[in-house]
Formats: sequence, structure tokens, C-alpha cells
Amino acid sequence: MSLLVARDLSVEIAGRPVVHGLDFTLDAGRSLALVGASGSGKSQTCLAPFGLSVGTASGSFRLAGEELIGASERQLRRIRGMHVGFVFQQPLTALTPHMTIAAQLREAWTQAGGPRPSRAAMEAALERVGLDRPVERLDQYPHRLSGGQRQRALIAMAIAHRPKLLVADEPTTALDAILRAEIMALLSRLCREEGMALLLVSHDLAAVSDHADAVAVMESGRIVESGPTRAIVDAPATDYARALIAASPRLDQPAPALGPVGAPLLEARDVSVSFRKPGWTRGRLQAVDGLSINVAEGEAVAIVGGSGSGKSTFARAVARLGPIDSGEVRWRGALLPDRKAMRPRDRAGVQPVFQDPVASLDPLWTVRDIVAEPLRRLRPDLDRAAIDERVDAVLTETGLSPELATRRPSALSGGQAQRVAIARALGPDPAMLLLDEATSALDVLVAGTILDLLGMLQRQRGLAILMITHDLAVAHRLCHRIVVMDRGQIVEQGPAGELIDAPRHEITRRLVAASRPHRVSD
Amino acid sequence: MRAPFAILALILLAALIGPWLIDWRYDAIDWDAVRAAPLSPGHMLGTDSVGRDLLARTLIGTRVTLGVALAAALVSLVIGVGWGAIAGWKGGRTDEAMMRIVDALYALPFMFVVILLMVLFGRSILLVFLGIGAVEWLTMARVVRGQMLALRERPFVIAAEAAGTPPVAIVLRHMLPNIAGVAIAYLLLTIPQVVMIESFLSFLGLGVQEPMTSLGILLKDGVDDMDLAPHAMLLPAIVLVALLLCLTRIGERLRDRFVG
Repeated sequence: MSLLVARDLSVEIAGRPVVHGLDFTLDAGRSLALVGASGSGKSQTCLAPFGLSVGTASGSFRLAGEELIGASERQLRRIRGMHVGFVFQQPLTALTPHMTIAAQLREAWTQAGGPRPSRAAMEAALERVGLDRPVERLDQYPHRLSGGQRQRALIAMAIAHRPKLLVADEPTTALDAILRAEIMALLSRLCREEGMALLLVSHDLAAVSDHADAVAVMESGRIVESGPTRAIVDAPATDYARALIAASPRLDQPAPALGPVGAPLLEARDVSVSFRKPGWTRGRLQAVDGLSINVAEGEAVAIVGGSGSGKSTFARAVARLGPIDSGEVRWRGALLPDRKAMRPRDRAGVQPVFQDPVASLDPLWTVRDIVAEPLRRLRPDLDRAAIDERVDAVLTETGLSPELATRRPSALSGGQAQRVAIARALGPDPAMLLLDEATSALDVLVAGTILDLLGMLQRQRGLAILMITHDLAVAHRLCHRIVVMDRGQIVEQGPAGELIDAPRHEITRRLVAASRPHRVSD
Repeated sequence: MRAPFAILALILLAALIGPWLIDWRYDAIDWDAVRAAPLSPGHMLGTDSVGRDLLARTLIGTRVTLGVALAAALVSLVIGVGWGAIAGWKGGRTDEAMMRIVDALYALPFMFVVILLMVLFGRSILLVFLGIGAVEWLTMARVVRGQMLALRERPFVIAAEAAGTPPVAIVLRHMLPNIAGVAIAYLLLTIPQVVMIESFLSFLGLGVQEPMTSLGILLKDGVDDMDLAPHAMLLPAIVLVALLLCLTRIGERLRDRFVG
């Protein structure tokens, strides 16, 4: 008998239907991934029946023979406590800041009806989820743990009461590529060992393909395709599933066509950046330690590394958009002045695009004003009419309708907002774009189209690109050359193809492994 | 949410146009009706111990109190936003120094400072609100500085820098408009505090001077005359409490909305 049976499951939020009549089953010990773009209703499907979202579910949702639809809050709490563990997307906010890991673990244990655990049992639990130095971790507060460590601690809490079902809602989306692979492998292993069923929610079909027995592809609240994972990944039947697979950057794709490389454009020498350590300590934290980098005209270079490797700090220092302790930066052979002394004409060459598309647009300005801002400041030769014309032109070039120009950022989707940010960067005709994780906050379909757009711009305009990313596959799709950073140092660099085929440094190897689906090799 | 707005609007309207709608001026004395009871002919709310119409006095008093409060709150807004914006934008040592000054001023017994100012420079309404505004800006400065620090790292501010926008323009055109909502919310929370302070100073006899009146003076007179005319302090007290509750409620709602 199946552990979980959903029949004609619908969810509505404030009277608006978001999930329409789903049917699926999940057997004990098996795994099912719900995959779809944001807004497809996949999270609501697995949270609403448990009473964990604002949506109201109708239809039938039976777990171990018990009907959850229409159950009282009290019954739901009992069922969740007995049978279900949850892992959520945001490890940073899912732990209570003022309680130690031990206290929260103990609470997870006793809330589920278990006896008060011994310290040894809690240490073993942390050991199991691969948290290093579990003895110390027990007495630490959440802020001492990194994102990946917190997600491990959360998983330890979720499985403390030995649930029959583990629900993981985008468990790795907020983590960098290496951690993503590690956490997914951990979830798979735990489910295998415990005989737990896994209900996984993700926007990235390629990422879950190694870890789910079956996949249900969701589009606007309906399952458009479902079946065994391998069948769907190898031969998707619907355009939507094909688009999802194609959008996810993979290392085994052929190297992309890129524009030709010209004369040296940007040369940075011995750049160091340090930050004051927080609190009353006097020490400084060396974030970037005497690094150099060159980018030529029309060359796309990626700086790849995990969270906290200093890649973003380095790139911002080079572009004179962040603090810098020492080091010189030359632009077409001429020294660039300090950040505060940068004149508009020094700025025109490099324009940035940031990770969070919504936060990178002033919420009070219209799209037209946002895109026109660098034009007004950097191109004094253009009059008002010429600026308006150029704004329309770059909006069109980035695939947006000029009619959007009167909107404010809150009325844009994530993909549209990122296109506006790219249009703003293209306005003053820069020779180089600085892409700071420009696609990692977007869902996989949108990220795919943005990457395609950037690739096209790179070729057509002969743009140089300095890209910061934690995902080697993204770098592979867009860049000539890759620089790998770890803890403020450059550990390896080289042409993209060579570096991926024959990684020498440990970090590079881990990045390659994280981006290469295991299924291909087995 | 509607009720506080409606009550506030009613009080504002009454204070603005009310005095023109009644027959008595706030300082006119009706020799025939000293300490008249409420609902007596010609004096709907009665008169005070020297025969002045209480309704007229309460309306004028509300107007004066609100005027002083608004002016003082605006003074605190200007100083607070300016101070906080500079500290938050400059950061580092400048920020440290400026915020330590704020801390030091917080530590002063500010009622004492206002009283001292009164004694030194004489009693005038102008001085009342200047004095109050000059001490009420501290919270505003802290709030604005915190918001500036948070905004400074936001990508859209860095993008404006990359667009060649000079620092002053970034502060004026990108950052301050984005903290306006929070600043207005705190401005509304400052007004009831100033109303309290003004009433308190007037109650002590240090604020507004007779025959001009304010809610504080009316309360003081009412308290002095409580044995013989207990109604005299009733209306000013009701208006003051309603004013404080409505402003605080609206301000808190706005603050929650903008600060999250």
C-alpha cells in the first residue's frame, strides 16, 4: 500500500485556485520530486495539506491511511509529529537565534513525543548528518553556523523522530553549488538508511534527477508530465519538461560559441581587501589577499568559488564599487583612480548586474528613469530625446517591451527585473559587464533565458564579462576562462574547457563534481 | 484603522475652523456668567472661573497645542534626518562620533534643559517648540541612520554609484526617498510626545502664556478649579487623550508597515 495518496488535490489561496486536481502516490521508502518554475504551485502542493501554508487544500490527501484534508489542527499536529519531517529553503531563518543547537534538537525530539535525548544521542544525530565537531556544535548558537551547517542541523531535527516521510521544500536553493550536491546526497542517504519516503520540491530538474525515483513536472498548478525520473530526463514528452531540462546549465553540454578576444582591457595587480572583524576584537579578516586578474576586450572570465571565498569582494574592488586596501587597476593601460575619485567617464566602461534583481532597482523609480540614470550621468552628449530613444532601444535589445518603461519594479517579475538591470548596464555602451551571481536568484527557466541573453549580447556586442558565480556549469556556459577562488586566494585558473576536463585543485574537483550529474557517469 | 483617522480629522477640523463658528472669543469675559455650568444659555460647555467660554478656549487651546507640536516635530524631522543621513552615509569614524553625541544628549535630563532655556531666554511659544524640537530629534536621527546604513549596501545604491551618480545625488534621490515612509511614521509618533511635553510645560506655567491658552493650561486651570467647576477640565482632558491615542495608533501602524 502506498504511504501517501493524493487524489484530486486542489489548493486555493484567498479564493484563488493555485493547484488544480492533482493525483499522485508515493510508496514507503521511495522518492518523488515535484518540479516546476516558481508559481507552479509545487510548494503549496506539499505544504497546504499539512496545514503549513496560507492555502486551503481540498480533495483527498491520505498519509499512512489517514485523511489530512479536513483534519483539525490538533490532528494535523499529531500526524506531522508522528510521521513527517520538514526541511525548508531558508536555513538562515529556520533556526531560533537565541537557542543552542542542543536545545533545539532536544525540542524537536520531545515535541515529537520521544523521550528526552541524551547528549550522546544528540551528538550521534549531528554526526549522522555530517556536521563536523558535533560535540562543540551542540552548545553553539545558530549564528556560529554557516548556511550549509545550519541546513544539516535542520535535517537532524527533521529526522529526529524517525518520520516515515521527509518533505524537503527547495532544500538547497539558498546554498552554493558544492553544498547543494552534498546536502542532496545526504538527504538521499538518510532516506535510504531509514527507509523514509522523500517528497522533494525543486525548480531544477537536473539537480534532482540523481535523487528522486519519480518526477512530477508541474506547470501552473497542474501535473503536465510524470513518471520515472530517468524516462523523463532522457525523453521528456512535453515542451515544458524539455525547456526545464535544457535551461539547467550542465557541464556535459558542448562549449558555447563566444566572441573573439582582443587587446588587454582590465588589468588588476595585487588587490587586497580586508574587513574589521565584528565585535571588540582588533583583528582584520583578509577577504582578498594580493590577487591579480586580467580581462581582455571581448573576453568572458568567470570567478568561481563557494560562499565566503571572497570572489564578490574581489570583483567589486576591481570595478571600484567596493572597499580596497591596496593594489592597482588599469583600464586600457591607464590607472583607475580610487573609488571616491572615480569620474563619470571612468565609470562608463564597466557596468554591474547584481544577484537580486528586485533589490538592484530603486523601488520608487520607474523603469524608464532607472535605465536612463547611467545615460544621464555618463553620456552628457545625449539630450533628453536621444536618451529616451536609447532607453527604448536597450529595453528592446534585452527582450522587453518599451511599454514596460512606465512601470515600477514592484510590478515586474524577477526575470523582467533582471532584464531591466541588464538594460540599465548596457545603456552607456560599456566595454565590460560585471555579473555578480546575476542568475542565481532566478528560477531555472528564467535563469536559462537570462544566460542565453547574456551570451547573445557577449557575441553581438563583443562585450567583456567578469562573472562571479558559485556554479561552474553557469561559468562553463558563458565564459572563455575560469578563475577558481577559495578563502581569498586564487587556487587555479585556465581556459574553461581544460579546467573542467582536468581540474587540479581539490576545490575545483569538488566544484566539477557538484555540477556534473552522477547519473551520466553510472 | 478608520476610527483613529476619523477622530483625528474631527479634532483637526474643529481646531482649525471651530473658533470662528462660536460667538465667544477665547479671551472674552462674560461678566454675567462666571463659572457657568455646561448647557447654560450661550455657553454650551459653561465658563471658567473668570467667565471665559470653555468651548472657545478648548478649541483655541487644541489649535495652539497642535501647532506647537507640529512645528516642534518638523524641527526634529529636519535635524534628525540631516544628522542621521550624514552619519549613516559617511559611516566609520564620523558615524561613531556623531552617534556618541546623540547618546550623550539622550543622557541629559531634557525636561531640565528645556526649563533652563525658558529661564535663560524668557518664555515664548517660539522657544517652546525650538527647545522641544531640539531634543526630540534624537530618536529620528537613530532611526534614519540605521536605515541609511542598511540602504548603503543595497545593490540599487551601488548601481547608482556605477552609473556615475555623485554621492549627494545618491543620498537625495535614491536613499532619502526610500526612508521617507519610515521617517513620516516616526514623525507621527513624535507629535504625541511633543503634545505631552508642551502640555506638561504649560501645566507648570512655563509654556504658553495667558490669555493665550493650550490644552495644558486648560488642564491646569481645570485642576485649580476642580472643587467649584469640575466640568472645566473634562473637555480638554478628553481632547488630549483622544489626540494622543489617535496619533500614536496611526504612527505605529505606519511604522509597522514601513519597518516590517
